[in-house]
This record gives sequence, C-alpha cells and structure tokens, in this order.
Amino acid sequence: MPAGPAAPPLGLYVHIPFCETKCPYCDFNTYAAIESLMPSYTRALEREIAGWGAWLGGPALTSIFFGGGTPSYLPTRDLARLLRAIDAAFAVAPGAEVTLEANPRDCERERLRAIRRAGFNRISIGVQSLDDQELRLLGRRHDAAGAIAAVDAARVAGFDNLSLDLMFGLPNQFVASWEHTLAEAVALAPDHVSAYALTLEGGTPMEADVRRGRLAEPDGEIAAEMYRLAIDLLAGAGLAQYEISNWARPGRASRHNLAYWRNEAWLGVGPGAHAHLFDNGMASLGALGANGARFAVVKPPRDYIRAAAAWEPPAAPVTRASLAAVPFLDTVEAVSDATAMGETMMMGLRLNEGVSDAAFAARFGKPIAQAFPEALTECLDYGLLCWVDGSLRLTDRGRMVGNEAFRRFVVEAAMAG
Amino acid sequence: MDAAHIRNFCIIAHIDHGKSTLADRMLEITGTVAARDMQEQLLDSNPIERERGITIKAQAVRMAFTHTDGDEYELNLIDTPGHVDFGYEVSRSLAACEGAVLVVDATQGIQAQTLANVYLALEHDLTIIPVVNKIDLPQSDQERVKAELKQAFGFKPEEVLYVSGKVGTGVKELLHEIINRVQQPAARPDKPLRALIFDSKYDSYKGVMAYVRVFDGVVRGTDRIRMMATNSMADVLEVGVFRPTMAKVDELAAGEVGYIATGLKSVGECRVGDTITLYRGGADEALPGYGARKPMVFAGMYPSEGNEFHELREALERLQMNDASLVFEPEQSAALGPGFRCGFLGLLHMEIVQERLEREFGMDLVVTAPSVVYRVVMNDNSVREIARPTDLPSGGEYQRVEEPWLRISILTPSRFLGPMMDLISSKRGEFKKTEYLDSAVVKQGDPDSLPSSDPRVLLEADVPMSEVLVDFYDQLKTRSRGYASLDYTVGEYREAPLVRLDVLVNNQPVDALSLITHKDNAFSQGRTLVERLRTLIPRQLFEVPIQAAIGGRIIARETIKSMGKNVLAKCYGGDVTRKRKLLEKQAEGKKRMKRIGRVEVPQEAFLAVLKMDK
Repeated sequence: MPAGPAAPPLGLYVHIPFCETKCPYCDFNTYAAIESLMPSYTRALEREIAGWGAWLGGPALTSIFFGGGTPSYLPTRDLARLLRAIDAAFAVAPGAEVTLEANPRDCERERLRAIRRAGFNRISIGVQSLDDQELRLLGRRHDAAGAIAAVDAARVAGFDNLSLDLMFGLPNQFVASWEHTLAEAVALAPDHVSAYALTLEGGTPMEADVRRGRLAEPDGEIAAEMYRLAIDLLAGAGLAQYEISNWARPGRASRHNLAYWRNEAWLGVGPGAHAHLFDNGMASLGALGANGARFAVVKPPRDYIRAAAAWEPPAAPVTRASLAAVPFLDTVEAVSDATAMGETMMMGLRLNEGVSDAAFAARFGKPIAQAFPEALTECLDYGLLCWVDGSLRLTDRGRMVGNEAFRRFVVEAAMAG
Repeated sequence: MDAAHIRNFCIIAHIDHGKSTLADRMLEITGTVAARDMQEQLLDSNPIERERGITIKAQAVRMAFTHTDGDEYELNLIDTPGHVDFGYEVSRSLAACEGAVLVVDATQGIQAQTLANVYLALEHDLTIIPVVNKIDLPQSDQERVKAELKQAFGFKPEEVLYVSGKVGTGVKELLHEIINRVQQPAARPDKPLRALIFDSKYDSYKGVMAYVRVFDGVVRGTDRIRMMATNSMADVLEVGVFRPTMAKVDELAAGEVGYIATGLKSVGECRVGDTITLYRGGADEALPGYGARKPMVFAGMYPSEGNEFHELREALERLQMNDASLVFEPEQSAALGPGFRCGFLGLLHMEIVQERLEREFGMDLVVTAPSVVYRVVMNDNSVREIARPTDLPSGGEYQRVEEPWLRISILTPSRFLGPMMDLISSKRGEFKKTEYLDSAVVKQGDPDSLPSSDPRVLLEADVPMSEVLVDFYDQLKTRSRGYASLDYTVGEYREAPLVRLDVLVNNQPVDALSLITHKDNAFSQGRTLVERLRTLIPRQLFEVPIQAAIGGRIIARETIKSMGKNVLAKCYGGDVTRKRKLLEKQAEGKKRMKRIGRVEVPQEAFLAVLKMDK
C-alpha cells in the first residue's frame, strides 16, 4: 500500500525476548533457555503484525527496530519471515531505517549476509567493552577479538550503517581501560556509537552482588570522568553527540530512536514492548486524541503467544477503550496534556538539538516558558539549560546532571496535571 | 475505709528493673484485673510508654487485699515516672505515699537511679521495703545484691524480699509485708480539706482529672474547690478511685488516693504539686513542696512545610492540655521560617513531645539542636535569660555569661572508672568524689557479703548541663559497654567563657545551626560541625561552602562538591512512563528537606551538633 505524500512518521519496534544467556546486569524482558518457543513465537508475532497493519489501515513505517533480547539469536529465516509480514501489513517507506540488534557471537559472515539480504540495513552490535576481563564481568560470552571480527563481518556482509553499543562505569573499571575501549572502537570506524553508564537495576544479580559487598560499587565520580572522555574522544573521531548516550556520523543518527526522543508515535510488538500512539494526522488514529495513549504488551512470552496467536483486530476504531480490550495488552494509559508536555521535555532535552519552542507551541498551544515557568527559570539560573536558535538545550554542565533538569519539568507537569 | 486499713505506697526502681511487671502481678494477685484482661505494662497507658518500657505519667490503682489478720485492706499503688527528666513528678508521687517498694534487678544490682530514688524516698520519710526482683533468671545474683543493699543503704538481710515479677514468686508475701511494714496514713478527717495533686490529665468529657492523695478532710462530688497555688477554682464533677479504670465514689476521705474531675480546660490550672482545698472553709496553708516546673531545655520546632504552622500550633496546644511542663512560643527563623521555641524538662521529654507530634498529629518536623538556658549579665547588671544561641548579645554589651551545671552521679563497675573519668574531663566536668560501693564489706569480712573482684564505684561530679545534652548518655553507655548508670540533679549557674558559634551554608548564616559553646572547644567543635554537615547535606547543583564562624571570623570551612553526574544513561521508548515515575519519586525525597536559600538541607543536619564524636 503506498504511503501518502505527507505520511506522518511511525516507527515499529519488534521485541525478540530470546538470549543465549542472561547477562547479570540486564533487567529487560528477556529469557535464556526458551528457544523451543521460537517457532510459535514467530507465528504469534506475524499474527500481531498483520493485525495491527489491518487495524491501522496499513500506514507507512519510517523505521523498524528489532531489539531484545538478542534478535540475531533468532534463526535468520524467522527474521526474514517477520520482515515479510511487516512488508505485507504496512507500507515500509523507501529508505526506511531497518535495524537489527546483534550479539557478536551471532555475527558470522554468511549469516549476516542473509540478514542483510532479508532487508535489514542497519546493525547495532552489542560490543559493550573491548577488554576481555570486563566482558567476563558483564557475563558476555564473546571476547574483544570476537567483537572486532563481528564488525569486520558486518562490513563485508554489506552493512554500511553500523552501530556499536558500549558500556562504562563498571565495577572496578579504570578510566584507562575505558579509554582503550573507546580508542579501539573508534578504530573500527563505526557510523554510530551508543555508550551507556552501567545502571544497577534492582533485582539483577549484579545489583545484588554490589549490595552485598561482593562487587565494588561503581564510582560515580569516575563514571563522570569516563563520560566526559567519551564526549571528547568520539567528537574527535567525527562522531557527533546527538543524545545523552548516542553519537553518530552526519546523517547516521538512529531515526527510530529519534522518534522516541521527539515524542512521536510508534508501535511496539512482542512481549513487554511499549507503544505510543496519538492523533498524529494518520486517519486511523483520529479517535485517539492529540495526546493519545501509551500501552504495553504482556511480558511473559508464553502468555503473549497464547493471547496473540489468534488475535483478530476489532472493527471498532482505535480508541483507549478498544485498545484496552486487546487481549495481549497489559496496560493502556491515557496521556494528559500535562504529562505529554512533561514527557516531551524529559525526552526532548536528551537530544543535543533540544526542544524547539516553536514546535512545542505548535503541538501544545503554548510556549515552553508558559507551560513550565518555574522549571525553566530554575534550569536557566542553574546553567543546566540554554536557548540556542529558538530551541531549549542542555548545556555541557546540564548534560552531566540531566535528571536535575528533567525532574523539574516532570514534577511541574505532575503538579499542573 | 478507715485509715488503719489503708496503705499508700509506690514502687521505685531503675529503668528496666521490672517495676511495671511487678505492678502487673500485684493487680493480678489482688484480683483487681482479671488475668484474661491482663496486658503487659498495664499502668503505662501511652503507646510510647509501652514501646520504650518507661513510665512517663504517674498512675495510680486501688487494690483490695485480705491480710493474714483476716481483714481486707485497701492498697493504693502509685506508679511513678522512671526518668530523671521527671524528677519533680517523682517527688510529688512519693509525697503522696507512706511507703516505697524498692525494686532492684537481681542480675544488675543497684544502679544510679536506685540510689537517687532511695535518697528521695528517705527525704519523704517513706518506709522502704527492699525487693530483689527477677530471681527467676539463671544469671541472678541475689547474694551480691543483698550485700549491696546492706552496704549502700544499711538494709538488714532479713528485711530483703525476693520476688519474680515475671512468674509471680514472692509477690503475695510482698503484699503482706507492705501491710505489715508501711504505716497507715496519718489521717485528719476533721480538718479542712487538703489534697495533694500528684498528677493531672486532661479528659475530653470531664476536663482535667486531678490525681490526688487526700491528707486532711473529705472531698465530695458536689464540692466547689480551689487550687491553692494557681488560685483557680472549680466545681467538682465527680470523685473516684482507680480500679484501675476510673470508678466513681461518693467521697474521698483523708488517707485515700483517687481522682477529682474538675471540668477545667487545661492542666496548667491544676498543676502537679499544688494543693486542693475547699472553696469555702478551706485550709489556710498549702501542703509543702509545690514548685513551678521550669523548662530546662529549649529547641526550635518547625514544620517541614511552612504552611503547616497553624497545624503545629494546634497540636502543641493539644499536648499542653495534658502536659503543663511543655511551654512554647512562636518564633521566626530566618532559615526555617515560622515555628515555635519549645521548652522541655529534659531530652527525653523533648523526644517524647516530638514523637507524639509526629505520630499522633502527623506533623513532619524540623527540630533544632536543644539548648540550655543561659544567664547573661548585662553591663547595667540586669540579667537576661536566653535559650536561643542567636539571642546572645554581641560582645561589648554584657559583663559575663553563666551556664547551668548539673550534679551527676555515675554508678559503674570499677573497671570502667578510667573511661568514666575521661568522659567527665572531656565534658569540662569537675570531680566531687568517688566511693567504692562494696569495698567496705570486703574489709569487714561480713559473712553476708561476697568479696568482689570488680567492686562498683559511685562517682559524683559537676558537669555543665550543655555538655550533658550532647551525647553524654550515649558516651557513658558506650564507654562502659552499657554497665554504667547515670542520675543527676540540677546544680548552680556558673560563669563561663562562652561564645556563639555560627554556621554559614552557602555564605548565608543559618540561625537554626548556631550554638553557644565554651571558648576552648569552639575551634574543634566548629571543625567537627562543618565536617558533619558536609556529609549530611547532599550534593547540590553547585559547590556549597559550609563555614563555622565566631564573631564574624571564619574558623572552619568545608566544601560540598557540586553534583558530578546524575543522568539516566539509557532512555528509549520502552520505558518512558517508568523513567518519568522514577524522576517523580526522586522529587518526593526532596520534599523532606528544608530549603535554605538554594540549598536543600535534610532534617538530620539540624541535629548534627548532637552527634559530634570527639
């Protein structure tokens, strides 16, 4: 189905909840040792994709992102089937960004060639570190050499849009070792780098180890230094920072992730996936209202398969009520004006481009200064934010303590709402 | 009941020596409370009393008990507060009795408070019955306690009774002995009414209930009465006795213990220690011993949220209805906004008030470090009493400052004598005397005593009260591994070279953090205080200097570094709601802080001065 000339942007996230092993720091909805579910899972996902396509009227997709879990762990033929299902149900825009997250252990040349051929045009490789000891601490089963080989293989397989995921602020990690990882990563000439400070999430084995004193608590000061180092080093290598944890060569910023940060619409399929739909001009979303709804799919894969495998989309228009009746959705949350404004700031300020006052006013009917008089004044006074060309942006200082800015907007929104 | 069949007694004991449990058994054995209605610490009706195992308010109960002579006797037990903060209340309770049961823990022996209580009971000419409690415990050492009782007070071994309040052993015998040994009350029913108020409590139906011991005359439920010291007047609504719940009777006659419902609105009009007489044909002279209580310790109490000032006032007024010793007046702190300067009998009293405000009234409070009352002798010889460091006039305006001292007694095993003496020295104390409690026994070779390799020592010293406020008790317990016990009486005022130590947070003086301190300690205290504040105040978005100053001169400085990094690295579409809620929750935590200028200061910081380890 062809997309109209001014088709509003819509991203599709596809969750693949399978991993060879579960990493000790990970609290995502992923599972090891449920590979037997892969065939029925793929079928359920095809069904869900087809259903949404039908219900939404086959809209244009500007980006597709297979995340997980470990999407590369799914057999290539299943990945190809899923892409075909998406193609059939939606109108994938020409030049749409189609990303696959991959574990270096899955990146052998022929497999990547097949994946590329199936239609994926961007690969995000979970390198995490180029120090073998750190990789063991993170419970990763690849080593530095394997990660480098994976990048080579991806290039040979034809991926000209390649991202590396890196982590810093690990227990016992020295700045020098982070510098080494960064330098090695830059030497691999990626188009995009994501670098995350380790967050110890409650309920993960690593968090428990730190809490019980079996593992050193990562030092916040050192992590701050590592972050500054990443900003300098990556910029020096021609990778411009465009979000708190993301850098890219010109034109290679992740279009899919930008949609999140710009608070645009996206759909998420698969267990635990989140979605945010609102009346963005798409005919089928007209009944949802300007702020629409956020909703999430049930988390346990078996529950998901059971509920999605026989799904028939309703004939009713997409509204909060009809969404709430979808059997595999877990939560459907209305978004108030105030919440939408707060979230627009919380997400948008993460971007180096910031939040455009004109765009904000066009969307919410008032400029930022009027929506958030207190948060704005305080953040400007503290030097966390500044105005550049009509957009509100984090300052270099503000980028280090972004929560301090985000919190003020979110809280003012909550009080207004 | 005729006076010959009445016995009024109290139980005196060091904290935790089992006073309340023993009282519980007496209630049970005399059938005053059926065993099935029994709950622990029955006389301690306030939940804070039960939790802490202490008695704050005095209580009374009337028990009927058939003696060996076949007659039924009326036993009035007056339960006394068990903490030095309430020493005056204790003295009034003792004045209402003829006898005292002295309870000593068989595993711990005599403690400082035991000594203080015995001396107090002797001052009131009470018959003392020494009782060794907790004999059911395997580690009890009855012989040693018996020897201590002889050595310390001269009790003959045959006078000492052995009981277990917990299992009830010996309690019946004790009741018989109370009848045998305690004198009947000297009752003069024909004289004009004189009744001693040993406690009072506000009741929302009947107004203030005065707990009284009638010495002379009779009071009936229809009388018009007068409080002789406050000169307030009331029409009696009813009189009654405690069984242990209040039970109305027609009259209370000389010798009896009971309550008078006055209909008064505040316990301030019906103060502990005052004498009640009849409005017409009353007595000319009050019973001896009335003294208005003066607060010893002052602290500022501020609502965390400025707009809760009126709620706080209402809560304090409600508490005051039942607690005449609590005083408060509004004050304005530059740093904390509107609040109240509150006066307390001591630190425990302060903690209890704070706890009740938080628990019963749901107040969220910022409490400043407590201060004693200083006397400032001005240049024109007038004397100003100040209880707030910022009220200390500037240098040239006064001749001298005087501070209150306490006479303290510490009872400690001799192996901790050194540490105790160090503690007193570090608190500017002066030694008065040391006395070995059982050395004399060993020398005499008394067959009733056991030689002890670790005799206990009574140490008396004078210490400035302000030094006792700051972690003295905790230090005493720490340095003696919990063995030493403490008691004190209020002493005199003495001149001292005192200075005001001011604290500046982010270059702004914070009145609520100022303190008055001895000149010689000012530097080290200033340093310790700013160091502690540096750890207590969380990092802000900017560097925050914390300074201590004397008379405008900075003597110590610490810097709270600005926040290094606070950002969630990962934030994608999957968890926008979760991240937003996380940020909202962080903001909740900030609410519990007080903002001083642009700095968010947690409540603990205002009490930092109390927890300075030296």
